[in-house]
Amino acid sequence: MRAFGNRSLVTTLAMSVLAFLYAPILVMMVFSFNDSQYTGLPFNGFTFRWYEALFRDDQMLTSIWNSVYVGLGVVVISVLFGVPAAIALDRYEFPGKGMFRRIVMLPIVLPGIITGIALLGFYLTIHLRLSLYTIMLGQGTALMCVTITEVFARLQQLGKSQAEAAANLGANDWEIFKNVTFPGIRSALFGAMLIAFSISFDEIAVTFLLTGRENTLPMTLWSLLRREVTPEVNAVATLIVFLSIILIVAGMYASRGNANEREA
Amino acid sequence: MTTIEQTVEIKRTSIRSARAIERRRLFLWLVPPLAWFTIFMLIPYATLLYTSLGHVDDMRFIPGLSLDNFVRVFTVDPYLSVIIKSARIGLMTAVFSSIVAYPLAFYLAFHVRTQRLKFLIYLLVIVPWWASYLVKAYAWKTILGSGGILNVGMQSLGLVHEPVRLFLYNEFSVDMTLTYIFTPFAVLSIYAQLERVPTSLIEAARNLGADGWMIFRRIILPISVPGVVAGAIITFSLAFGDFVAPVLVGGPDSVMISNVVINLLGVAFDWPMAAAIGLVIISLGLLLISASGWLEERTQTRF
Repeated sequence: MRAFGNRSLVTTLAMSVLAFLYAPILVMMVFSFNDSQYTGLPFNGFTFRWYEALFRDDQMLTSIWNSVYVGLGVVVISVLFGVPAAIALDRYEFPGKGMFRRIVMLPIVLPGIITGIALLGFYLTIHLRLSLYTIMLGQGTALMCVTITEVFARLQQLGKSQAEAAANLGANDWEIFKNVTFPGIRSALFGAMLIAFSISFDEIAVTFLLTGRENTLPMTLWSLLRREVTPEVNAVATLIVFLSIILIVAGMYASRGNANEREA
Repeated sequence: MTTIEQTVEIKRTSIRSARAIERRRLFLWLVPPLAWFTIFMLIPYATLLYTSLGHVDDMRFIPGLSLDNFVRVFTVDPYLSVIIKSARIGLMTAVFSSIVAYPLAFYLAFHVRTQRLKFLIYLLVIVPWWASYLVKAYAWKTILGSGGILNVGMQSLGLVHEPVRLFLYNEFSVDMTLTYIFTPFAVLSIYAQLERVPTSLIEAARNLGADGWMIFRRIILPISVPGVVAGAIITFSLAFGDFVAPVLVGGPDSVMISNVVINLLGVAFDWPMAAAIGLVIISLGLLLISASGWLEERTQTRF
């Protein structure tokens, strides 16, 4: 029996924390239906007009798509480069390993603005035009450590014996990766991808400096919030939360095996 | 002829030491990420260094080899004081989010009975990221503002007669907003560590007569330290570098270091100064990582 301590006390505390996390989201949702120019009290009545406005707002819809596009790109980058880094860190000793680990972790402790100016200066030097791809490269660098740390932690838990056994039985590198390493890290990788996408979707600091003409959703909201705040911003955030929950629940059903395997 | 060459080649391959094969494999895994971090971090940082050593004259960058900008970071107001204030806000955020996150992580690790529910709550921790940071921060204004839900509620209950303005536009409201935004990071980090606690350890302690409080204080709390440290480092760093909360919920003087850097890039067009601040913060970041690595190493429990 894993549970210990006063169950009702623990549950109450945990639920209060969840309430704290969701109180502003609830407020945001309620006021997205407010029939008023302003997002705030008084609540003038129920309306769908901010959602209608949202679906007519091409700039907003485009920026939602841009954010999804950037997020997917970031996930691809951080898997393609993060998984090899985690494997190298887990399996091998090499000179400069300690420094490599520090460098990899650096973007998560650095303010996004600093990562942003370093990359912006670099882009300007090599005359790279700012676009969604420059954002992707920046966020990919900043978020790769999420994948590296999650996958590395899982690899450490798994240990080396299975991969060594496979090698002794004559499996080549690719077979070892496909049949031993990948199944072992799959659920950790899935979690890391989910986290990387979620953070990318709401990333402001790196994006703020690296964005070109096309804006991601947070950038569009940022410019809206500085001019006039209408409940449309609440509507778009509410819509996204519902969409994300639907997507996640669908993903949960699709990968039910994954969820159960988390503990393995 | 070719057969002989091939035979020689095969022999050569077969006598390569296992070590060389290992090294080849290491390169296979290490080269792509190494190349990535060199191109997108080390070279940009080198560019930053080059920029920081020059200065700007009449909106034009003049290269140079001067450390003036670095001296200015530590001697000219407001740079150093703003860095210290940002660190203070980061520290408060780290402390508050650890305290807020712990019960939820604890519940998730020990009291959720089914895997499905566990995954669901795990997702509930992540989902707030999907609701835009900006809109959530703005929602706090709706709650805390002088015409906000809290004030209207307290007035209608007769607790106060005038709206309380203390809730918003000061350093505390920045601390609170940042705590709110970054708590999920602390939850994930503490939960990952608590998940490592073997069930057998708890059962053994219970069999030996320990009550819940004792198990928590003597076993769980010490084991959880590295998770708390890791979460605190992340929340500290994120809060330290934030520039949105000071603008949305901060007071007139709650400018943070990222705001200063943005102003240097934009209005002041002093790239060298911004680069110097950036490099100072990069060095501080490396120190922080080393310190946290050391701390986690020292406090980590091996099972």
